[in-house]
Amino acid sequence: MKNAARIIPCYSADTSGVCSALYELGGLTVVHDASGCNSTYSTHDEPRWYDMRSNIFISALTEMDAIMGNDEKLIADTVSAAKDRKPAFIALCGSPMPMMTGVDFDAVAAEVEARSGIRTFGLHTNGTRSYIEGASEALAAVVREYAEPCGKVRGRVNVLGLTPLDLPLGADKHIREWLASHGFECGCTLAMGDSLESIKKLPSAEVNLLVSEAGRGAAEYLKKEYGIPCICGVPFGNGFADELAERLRSAANGSKPVALSTAEAGQAEVIVIGEGISAMSLAEALRRDLGLNAGAINTQPSEGAASGDVLSCEEDIEAALLELRPKAVVADPLYRYILPAGTRLIEVPHFAFSGRCFQRAMVNLINTDIKEYFK
Amino acid sequence: MIKLAIYGKGGIGKSTVSCNVSAAMAKKGLRVMQIGCDPKADSTSLLRGGERIPTVLQVTREKGNALALEDVIYDGAFGVKCVEAGGPVPGLGCAGRGIINALETLEKKGAFELCKPDVVIYDVLGDVVCGGFSMPMRKGYADKVFVVTSGEKMSVYAAANICMAIDNFKGRGYASLGGIILNRRGVEDERSAAETLAADFGSSVIADIDRCEEIPAAEKAGKTVAELFAGSRADEQLSCTAQAILDAFGGAL
Repeated sequence: MKNAARIIPCYSADTSGVCSALYELGGLTVVHDASGCNSTYSTHDEPRWYDMRSNIFISALTEMDAIMGNDEKLIADTVSAAKDRKPAFIALCGSPMPMMTGVDFDAVAAEVEARSGIRTFGLHTNGTRSYIEGASEALAAVVREYAEPCGKVRGRVNVLGLTPLDLPLGADKHIREWLASHGFECGCTLAMGDSLESIKKLPSAEVNLLVSEAGRGAAEYLKKEYGIPCICGVPFGNGFADELAERLRSAANGSKPVALSTAEAGQAEVIVIGEGISAMSLAEALRRDLGLNAGAINTQPSEGAASGDVLSCEEDIEAALLELRPKAVVADPLYRYILPAGTRLIEVPHFAFSGRCFQRAMVNLINTDIKEYFK
Repeated sequence: MIKLAIYGKGGIGKSTVSCNVSAAMAKKGLRVMQIGCDPKADSTSLLRGGERIPTVLQVTREKGNALALEDVIYDGAFGVKCVEAGGPVPGLGCAGRGIINALETLEKKGAFELCKPDVVIYDVLGDVVCGGFSMPMRKGYADKVFVVTSGEKMSVYAAANICMAIDNFKGRGYASLGGIILNRRGVEDERSAAETLAADFGSSVIADIDRCEEIPAAEKAGKTVAELFAGSRADEQLSCTAQAILDAFGGAL
């Protein structure tokens, strides 16, 4: 029962990560799952659902289709929906039942592409892994499919891993403004507030800014194929935002990229809990702007992730907090229920954790004075 | 690196052929890895002196993600790398899903990068009964499937089912049919039954292994024919089978 969440909720799953990552790119995202589950991906885990259109379909997998291996229904329905909606691309992803029956999404994608003439790729979600893994695979896939070799543009920075599951709506706009204020040109903001056209020009950037692990796969691909260095961090607060801009400039000038400080929880008086890059960035911002001894707990372990203390299950997080007894914890409001007595909670809602519950309380901490919020 | 899968009716001698072909290829100087894809987990026992090895699923259950390749890859006769996917307790769980999980684990952990085999042989359970048992045929796994059959009616019937599955998957870029391996049981018109089967699927009988005393004797001793009866007619036929399989890849090695 070690990985069971008894008190706090579990984070969004990989399938939601795919839907969120591809939401604004004009594709058709098909989740191979039983009917009736659309709300999980597109409303509970998606703040844009009521304001912005996106083609997200659930295949309505039935017991008999699963038993009989009826992939033809998925293929025919997807091709039919694609003919109707004319998406730029089609992404197919799975849920627990296709995982059990071993649906081969790569093969199904090849058949859909052959019949529809629309670029199609399979994603290997199964509904049991973290949203980070799904989003990372989806973003890497679109980058692989669409990025085109092009000349470098001096001072251009791409922002990778931007989804509302980790950063509030409007984060793309705040990051663009912050980059501009430091003399950078913002390239692609993958994948909020941007388009496939912009993805094609990703290789023109001098440096990538990875704002969540959701962009890790894309960052690694762009490093390997186009040699673009990557800096991790979210420009929270003022001091850390300035420092992050310096790190970007230095990487763009060819210096070895500076890693995000491994702000481990250790003896910290304030602990930030959340997605690794966000949590560590906020801890850095709290150290610089408020002089706090702040550390971070990364709840989303993933390959190649920025380090820090990685604790993914409720039992471990609860035990660590009990042992460390920090004065305050900065986390989603629902963490209140596993804090040790006497530890203060500073609420920073996290959409991938509590969905729309605290959507109205979400605040922008990017490139702004955070002293008031954390006083 | 070439990758192939051996399929065929239960009890027809797939594991026996696989182990002896692995041994014969290794004797030719090739680095061979044999992966048993059967919940019984006895595919590689002839390469290990009759001994069983811990399976990928068993170790995954015990260690989770901490599974190390050294826990599941063992040296067998002639240096053949032996792996068993394993499976659930008989009558419970889902063996097909087990195969998928085990093969994905080996890939994720970098088994091929570690062992750098020239040849990978997937020895797969009986029929292609579900998605899990077609896993070794998928793109990225075996490039060719070889079907073992005798001339017996049920064996040919099962072999035809497997060939049909391969044919159905043609559009998906899965493995193609490499050929039929005739493992004789001494029934009438065996060669002709195997040839008819092969012709039905546009293939050919690439090897013909006689019913003999050496193969069961070696099996009883938990050894390969190449170890116990080197130079015998059975050894020669198994070596020819190995060469025919390599030839089916058109000199890829």
